[in-house]
Amino acid sequence: MASEKTDALVLRTIEFSETSLVVVLLTRQFGKSSALAKGARRAKGPFEGALDLLSICRVVIIPKSGDTLDLLTEAKLQRRFRAGERNLGRLYAGYYVAELLREMTDRGDPHPDLYDLALETLEELDGETDVRACLLRFELQTLRLLGHAPTIDRCAACGSEVPEGGRFGFGVTSGGVLCAACRPATRQVVLLRGATRETLRSLLSEAAVSGPPPPVPAELHGELRGVINRYITNLLGGPPRMQSYLAAASPTIDGQGRRR
Amino acid sequence: MAEWSHSVGELVDQLGRLPGIGRKTAERLAYHLLRVPQAEALALSESIRRVRENVRYCETCFNLSEGPRCSICADPRRDATRLCVVEQPRDLMSLEQAGAYRGLYHVLLGRIAPLDGIGPDQLTIDHLVDRVRSGSFREIIMATNPTVEGDGTSLYISNLLSEYALEVTRLARGITAGSVLEYANREILADALNGRQKF
Repeated sequence: MASEKTDALVLRTIEFSETSLVVVLLTRQFGKSSALAKGARRAKGPFEGALDLLSICRVVIIPKSGDTLDLLTEAKLQRRFRAGERNLGRLYAGYYVAELLREMTDRGDPHPDLYDLALETLEELDGETDVRACLLRFELQTLRLLGHAPTIDRCAACGSEVPEGGRFGFGVTSGGVLCAACRPATRQVVLLRGATRETLRSLLSEAAVSGPPPPVPAELHGELRGVINRYITNLLGGPPRMQSYLAAASPTIDGQGRRR
Repeated sequence: MAEWSHSVGELVDQLGRLPGIGRKTAERLAYHLLRVPQAEALALSESIRRVRENVRYCETCFNLSEGPRCSICADPRRDATRLCVVEQPRDLMSLEQAGAYRGLYHVLLGRIAPLDGIGPDQLTIDHLVDRVRSGSFREIIMATNPTVEGDGTSLYISNLLSEYALEVTRLARGITAGSVLEYANREILADALNGRQKF
């Protein structure tokens, strides 16, 4: 089978043998790929230490059919994720990005716009952008680009309009806001403030996919974090491993999980 | 189709479980063990038995040891003011073979890898902090692997140790001596520039 050249983000590496790795990549052109990289653990060779978690590489890949691992023959490092050298909150946020991409994307289902969003998010996490706003934008835009965005304007159960202002119900399993009529009969409902709905809308807008993440008012962050955690947990059938580590991205909790 | 006898088949299966040994190599090794003098083959099995029965982790640094303390921790000539933190005993051996370091070690027995379900509690970080608290170290050298997870582990530990009056350093990184700048990638050059030293 012909080899393909593409840009890729390393989502996971697993030691396969003394010298080889199995890597999970998100490629820009071909979607997720699990590939065998023979000799990748050697210092010298066609990979040159490029296959580290969250590294961005230019790779040459030979796709295989069925459940067989693809074969990675070359990887050239473009950019390394360096947040782990200075801030644990940013590092764990980067891990969370990798986990969400791994859990929510499929082999052979490319999403170039999601790939670009992931790279922009990692660059922001590597810099000085607010980690909390950066993650919320990434999560909601990922949901939108993959077709899992929660309904914000109309009732997720009956489709009727839900008036703006005041507190409103958000159905975790229903997939969005609920009208007053549907709310009592729905399970797993979270009550949110009206301003939270507005922030959700701005984070989900198409315009928010690139550029600086929309600002998230500090008083709404806890509410947003809670509802998105539950929404994603429901979608994946269980909480992401890194969800509990996200506390380290909070300004009131330090990298070791201690309150500042 | 002819098959190996039961005991040979079992040996092939056992050898095939070793890292880097496939079915063919396992068969070749088993055939080799059948051809060599019996004493030589049994010496191998005796070595495996002795290693499994006698080798354990050093109570102080978690290096491999045949007694409660490893030969490095028990050596009074080692510099007790420096402590080098590594991920695995084989990393310690690599540094020892370099012959450039005469201080003590601490082996973490892994690295913090939350995506694989490995947290700080599954490593020997608590013992490290106890050692630092009760020891007389002036410098802690973080020698975890230069990967995202290795760096994250070093950062976690250096944050924990920030309340103690000591210097936390890490291994240098950058251009390999004997190579040329032209062929170094930009990440390596960035590391080298960031970690430049005074003449």
